[in-house]
Amino acid sequence: MATIVQTKELLETVIASLIAGVGATAVFSLAIWGGARFVDLSRDGRTLAAGAAAALSALALAVTLAAVVVGIVVMTSK
Amino acid sequence: MVIVVGTALAFDFTNGFHDTANVVATSISTGAARPRVAIGLASLLNFVGAFISISVAATVANDVVDPSVITPTIVFAGLIGAIAWNLITWWFGLPSSSSHALIGGVVGSAVAAVGIEAIIADGLVGKVLIPAIVAPVLALLVAGLSIGIAYRMIGRQRPGAVTRGFRYGQVISGGLLALAHGTNDAQKTMGVITLALIANGTLGANADPPLWVIVSAATAIALGTYIGGWRIIRTTGSRIIKMDAAQGFSAQGAGAAVILASTHFGFPLSTTHVINGGVIGAGAGKRVSAVRWGVAGNIVVAWLLTLPAAAAIGAAAYALTHVFGSGALGPVLVTLASLGLIVAIFARRAQQGAPVPAG
Repeated sequence: MATIVQTKELLETVIASLIAGVGATAVFSLAIWGGARFVDLSRDGRTLAAGAAAALSALALAVTLAAVVVGIVVMTSK
Repeated sequence: MVIVVGTALAFDFTNGFHDTANVVATSISTGAARPRVAIGLASLLNFVGAFISISVAATVANDVVDPSVITPTIVFAGLIGAIAWNLITWWFGLPSSSSHALIGGVVGSAVAAVGIEAIIADGLVGKVLIPAIVAPVLALLVAGLSIGIAYRMIGRQRPGAVTRGFRYGQVISGGLLALAHGTNDAQKTMGVITLALIANGTLGANADPPLWVIVSAATAIALGTYIGGWRIIRTTGSRIIKMDAAQGFSAQGAGAAVILASTHFGFPLSTTHVINGGVIGAGAGKRVSAVRWGVAGNIVVAWLLTLPAAAAIGAAAYALTHVFGSGALGPVLVTLASLGLIVAIFARRAQQGAPVPAG
């Protein structure tokens, strides 16, 4: 039964999907949160906090784009 | 052989317009991209995706049907079964799996030709039936968890900025899905054409798809995608749930993650099952009652029927073709009869007007 179902590949797919799918959405949500906070904090004149929010947003966006690149690499390497 | 290749490309075309919904429906329904732009981009990325890899091109029939029994007539009849089921589900606006239709059609025609021993049972269970259950459930789980986390993180922010952000994100996640779709689905047609060429003696055993096969399969799926299946786009994009941009991003992100993970670990999943599971998960993650379960139920019924229905049509097409012997006459007559039937149905529908709702 194990050879028919390919248990190992199935488990790996489930775990990787959960980490990649939930992780990517969480990180991209963080980028949006940071962007929205940057606008609000800038409007309130809190420059330092706004800068931190912008940096967090940029970092999260970079991680999201890195995840996309990894996805393309996965596709091209098969 | 020309008829078999033409039929395979016709299937590829229906695969493109049938499965367009998987890639673009959520982007269109949330306003992330205008319909023509979304479909044009998906079409281009499907074309590119078809060139990325040819490693799974011959797995369709190799793993579920004994390749030594395959003849061009079996492939032809299987394709007729797949095209017929794709058109039926498209007619009712139901996003069923083109891959399952193709596998069902080939299995049905092979059984009609040589009997039940043509089926590789382990392959059919392990590579088709189990993934058919896993794909939508996994995507539903990933999308449901994703949207829960996203809402927690951005819940108190201004809706305008959040919606804009997720719409931009959808352009990226939709593009990734389109690329993955092209990589997965165009290869299935390449595999079928290659098998037919091998069965005909045109190519040697274990040959890779020739360049003209890759180019023609990529072109057919891209053209089909560009023409688009608006009925299915409506079902996936707005009939299962009324989605916002965050839900659209979660559904597409979950879909892309599941497809890429399954590609990486060699566990084949249907893109149709994955993205529709993701859409339902993104709806249920917000509120279980947000999902129109009647529509979702109709889709699941179509999924359950896909393999047996395509197999039955494939078997019937083989039996009909075989009546006229093993030459080209059978495929020619069945092709003409199928084309006549399709034209008659479309003409009748055009006279009647309104499309049939999915649920």
